[in-house]
Amino acid sequence: MKEVLLLALTHVVTAIRERVTLFWFLVFPVFMLVLLSLIFGQIGQEGEIHFDIALIDRDAGGSDPAGFASMIVSVFEGLAKPQAAGQEPLFTVHRPDQGEDPEAFLDRELTALRRGRLAAVVVIPPDFDAAVLRGMGPSPGGDAEPAKLHVYMSRTSVASGMAAEIIGQVLSEIDREILARSGRFDPTAGVRTETVWLGQSDEETSYVDFLLPGIVLMGFFTTGLFGVPGAILFNRDRKVLRRYWVTPLSVPRFLAGFSLGHLALCALQFTILFLLGRYALGATISFARPEAFLTLLLAAVTFMAFGFLIASLARTANAGMATANVLNMPMMFLSGMFFPVAGLPTFLMAIVYANPVSYLVNGLRTSVGVESGSFSSGLVIGVPLGWIALSVLVAARKLKWDVER
Amino acid sequence: MDDRVLLRVIDLVKHYGDVRAVDGVSFEAWSASVFTLLGPNGAGKTTTLEILEGIREPDSGEIEVFGVRLKRITRAVKERMGVLLQDGGFEPYLKVREILRLFASFFENPVPIDEVLSQVALTDKAGSLVRTLSGGQKQRLAVGAALINDPKLVFLDEPTTGLDPQARRNMWSVIEGLKDRGKTLILTTHYMEEAEALADWVCIMDHGEIIAQGTPRKLTQDFGEETMIEFRGDDLPPEALERLRACCKDYRVDGAAITMETEDLPTTMESLFAWSREQGVRLRNLIVRQPNLEDVFLSLTGRRLRE
Repeated sequence: MKEVLLLALTHVVTAIRERVTLFWFLVFPVFMLVLLSLIFGQIGQEGEIHFDIALIDRDAGGSDPAGFASMIVSVFEGLAKPQAAGQEPLFTVHRPDQGEDPEAFLDRELTALRRGRLAAVVVIPPDFDAAVLRGMGPSPGGDAEPAKLHVYMSRTSVASGMAAEIIGQVLSEIDREILARSGRFDPTAGVRTETVWLGQSDEETSYVDFLLPGIVLMGFFTTGLFGVPGAILFNRDRKVLRRYWVTPLSVPRFLAGFSLGHLALCALQFTILFLLGRYALGATISFARPEAFLTLLLAAVTFMAFGFLIASLARTANAGMATANVLNMPMMFLSGMFFPVAGLPTFLMAIVYANPVSYLVNGLRTSVGVESGSFSSGLVIGVPLGWIALSVLVAARKLKWDVER
Repeated sequence: MDDRVLLRVIDLVKHYGDVRAVDGVSFEAWSASVFTLLGPNGAGKTTTLEILEGIREPDSGEIEVFGVRLKRITRAVKERMGVLLQDGGFEPYLKVREILRLFASFFENPVPIDEVLSQVALTDKAGSLVRTLSGGQKQRLAVGAALINDPKLVFLDEPTTGLDPQARRNMWSVIEGLKDRGKTLILTTHYMEEAEALADWVCIMDHGEIIAQGTPRKLTQDFGEETMIEFRGDDLPPEALERLRACCKDYRVDGAAITMETEDLPTTMESLFAWSREQGVRLRNLIVRQPNLEDVFLSLTGRRLRE
């Protein structure tokens, strides 16, 4: 038993001391957790979103405080004020200075939009009010041009994409108001929508809560995919393993020590990521549930088995690393680890369904209450177990424990 | 059976595809002696040793070790033997003491780590990572790992290959020390001088077979009554070399080195000096010596050990 524990310790110690392994085992997942939290973590936290937009009212009738152009201006100005005490406003609205040429202002703001400093430029065209009024006439479908607002967005800006949605909502509200004023729409009648957020937990969850289980599994995944073939094949090719085989140590005992070490590494990795997520990034989810623990254990074993599968099929350590590299990205990205995968093309969905990571990610998120179960618990357990069985079968037949002659 | 025989190999055969890597090898090794398998690369020495170390299984043949006859090496045998692999590695990010502690855990009755560190003169390096050790220090660590169970039988596969002359001499001292402590050492080498310096018994292997065996002295005596004369002669024309044939029983040219065999040293020396004056050849680095194992191998196979 002592040799099993010392082999496990050896596996952990070498992983920590070797920089390349340490990078994949610890630095990379920590980096991803912090980076993604910083980039996307603020989304969804009310009052934290902020956009800079420019608004130009070129309608002469805009001076009419009861006009539609004025209404739009006042709506955006309303959004530029804090929605509640202590909150940042949603928008900062840039307007032309008194007496400034609107054309020159538009040029300047469009340049700012192209450079990513603005999320959108909204232009109320000349005669907007008149066009709206024409549209509200008895036969709106005649020759009358519908009233148009010009909204400029940047295809390359994430903020622009998000602002587009909000501006779209604002404009549809204005549209409803116009229709109501024209008497064609009763704002109290018709269908009203009420948004209901689906999830298992009533507790408030943040993006970090959603991200943390994914990053933990990413860490387990890279540790299994790269760590196992790396440790087995490099040590086999450098004849480190052969030194073991000339002693009374047996392959099963070596495997027991190696696996124990691998699981200890995963536990260490989980602890560090959990503490970082909880105390530095504000995650609130709890993994202290039997189903979460079992999913984590199943994930660590599945990815370790997957590593053995690669080690069995690759002839050399370098070939093993190359295979792991090829599988790494598609398996991570086509699993829902970082973003939802529903609606992907059929051939990509086939990979999603064959990918054990998909089931484990969804299973873990479900077990900690940040996602609803897309897969039945039978699939969450069954598919990874199937992969483990396949990997063990292939490894038992194909894995070479010593250099070939 | 001779009580002193610790290891007996009987008609060992191992194929790799159509190649008979080991072709009916039989020998005996006695307690507290150095037994050497000498031969060029590819002669079958390492495969023979790998079978005896338990890394490979023979196609046929038997091994009698510690008085037990076996088809393959068992865990119980491994408890009592030590192995120094030809180019075995260690985890580069483990420390010397950690490696020895790990290897000690594989055996039922290991030697205390500090004792092994002292034996292989690595006490000062106990806390160093393997990757920071020199080639000689790594080889001493390998010896330490091989001795962690205080084995009766120690296999040393090409223990000095790749070492500098100083480290090679140190390794020879270690091997002699082990023999003095009553260990039986099975050594493979393709260095003739190593076999001559260390071996009590030499088996010369070629193409998977043992082509001669005996003590180094006996093997060279069996070679004949010849005396060897060596000198350096650069760029000698073929006619000059042809005239040399008349001076001795036989001669061979290896680069600039010329080796002559003679059963009549005074006459050959007189003829050689006359030839030297006649051809205007300076007999640089001239030496007269007894035949060595290289000469024996050459006479048996027509090839040099390190070809």
